[in-house]
Amino acid sequence: MFDSVEKNPTLTLICVALAFLIYGYATSLPKITDFMIFCIFVIAFDLLYGHMGQLSFGHMLYLGAGAYGCGMFAYHIYPDPFLSILAGVLLGALVATLLGTLVVKTSQAAFALSNLALNEVGAYLVLSPWHKWTGGEDGLSLFFNKYGIINFGESTFRFYFCLCSLLLVVFLVLSLVRSPYGSLLKAIKENEVRVKFLGYNTYLYKYITFIISGAIAAFAGALMSINLSYTNTSLIAPTRNVEVIFAALMGGAGSVIGAVVGGAAFMTISNYLAVYLIRWEMFLGFALLIFVFWFREGIWGYLSKAGRALEKERSNR
Amino acid sequence: MTNFVQSILFGLTIGGILYIISIGLSLTFGAMGIVNFAHGLIYAVGAYALYTVATLLGTGFIAGVLAALAVSIPLSYVIERFVIRRLYGQSIDYAIIATYAILLIGADLLKWVYGASPLPISDPIGVLWTFGSLSMPVFRLVIIGSSVLIFFGLQLFFKKTLVGKIVVAGLQDREAVRSLGINVEKHFAIVFVMGSALAALGGVLYAPLSTLDPYMGFQILILCFAVVIVGGMGNLKGTAVAAFALGMVHALTAAYIASSASDAMVYVVMAAVLVFRPVEA
Repeated sequence: MFDSVEKNPTLTLICVALAFLIYGYATSLPKITDFMIFCIFVIAFDLLYGHMGQLSFGHMLYLGAGAYGCGMFAYHIYPDPFLSILAGVLLGALVATLLGTLVVKTSQAAFALSNLALNEVGAYLVLSPWHKWTGGEDGLSLFFNKYGIINFGESTFRFYFCLCSLLLVVFLVLSLVRSPYGSLLKAIKENEVRVKFLGYNTYLYKYITFIISGAIAAFAGALMSINLSYTNTSLIAPTRNVEVIFAALMGGAGSVIGAVVGGAAFMTISNYLAVYLIRWEMFLGFALLIFVFWFREGIWGYLSKAGRALEKERSNR
Repeated sequence: MTNFVQSILFGLTIGGILYIISIGLSLTFGAMGIVNFAHGLIYAVGAYALYTVATLLGTGFIAGVLAALAVSIPLSYVIERFVIRRLYGQSIDYAIIATYAILLIGADLLKWVYGASPLPISDPIGVLWTFGSLSMPVFRLVIIGSSVLIFFGLQLFFKKTLVGKIVVAGLQDREAVRSLGINVEKHFAIVFVMGSALAALGGVLYAPLSTLDPYMGFQILILCFAVVIVGGMGNLKGTAVAAFALGMVHALTAAYIASSASDAMVYVVMAAVLVFRPVEA
């Protein structure tokens, strides 16, 4: 029964929208807005990790590029929210285009580590040499133009805007993953040499996917800076990479719905449980170990497996 | 000129530290295909053991070094036995995530016990060596000397002892060694513990030059990963060359550009190496 949700894009979108609407109105809209933005970031990360099979340990760089692109455009050039988001996404895509030529050549461990190193470089550049434009340690506080009901100062408007953004990203990535292009990605994940053998330029496909993933992560970063109405170095901090990895693992890598479930679950834990947990990092560490050793399919993977088993039992009866 | 020579000597110090720490990483990667983030934890544990014994109990530096080794060896064995051995031959991502989890747990434990604020360790020798207008803490010379000793010691170990030879052979062709009836994993475990002990030693040697904080392992680990990527994973001589070269980059950047830029410059060099020489990993 969970499979049927995954197989039908319309049903997926309706379920995601309903789930977040109910969650938002049952708790608080600003909080769930954060959750949804984080889910977009997890989807971007999972496009590389779950679908293409490359673990990046530095995806915060693209989130940061988006946040700073958006923030610096609004602060220095023109505080139009939509142009700022566009600037953020373009900056993220540009950074991914430039750095992708380097990192996509590597794979596995070297891929993870060179991304982490580049993230360190980015965080340093933002913090110190470019502090005139980025605000350095203090960051930038942002204000955006209002046009009638399009008012990013309103938390309800932000909630609906981010919900629509999330649905858009889910739709786009779902269509990408289901296209022949997506099948090729999956094939590259399984066995890159064979795909090469069939005559495909695997480097090009990996490179394009890297740029798409970077652009989506930058979109999440731009939304984050608009939602927080500031940008600062915490949006590009390399130490926060573990959060998105954890969320992707928790939800179940390699599935768009899994990424959304993981993002929402991680944010729920870090927002509601972290208050009671004094040793938050220790908890995170043990939870990661549990997921790696005993629960690799993640929450969504487990649910869909259980659903399949249930259906099989029913049809056997 | 004095300034330049001074920077070169500083570069050798940093290079020596990087070499001592990276060797374990490079071996674990080359031998087992595992990226070991827990290495940074062992490094931090070594430094904290030194702090506990030498500064809190006041027993002196040598006792601190022994304490660091005594703590790090069993700890690294436990990590190898219960986490890393279970991940052999599986997707490398799981090893990265699991060892990172250990780093998080360990750093949080250190924060719990010692607090999050940085702790200083005084220079155990505290004597300045002066030569003309040049002056250097003698301790830095000790670091350079120990890294050179370790380099030649390891060369001997890998050329002359049976365990070393088996490991070198295993690095080249694991299946062939196994088909000779040798338990490669057991030998790799020995080398893993050795590499970890060296990381703890690196922590001990570097701590007096900087301060301790629970996340100290994270920062240096990324530098060491850069060393391993530049030097070639599992390439022992390459690791040594890369460590000293990047140490030099680090020190010269700190001297002539900005001290805060030195870490970033190392990664830029790493990126440049990646452009010209793609890594097969």
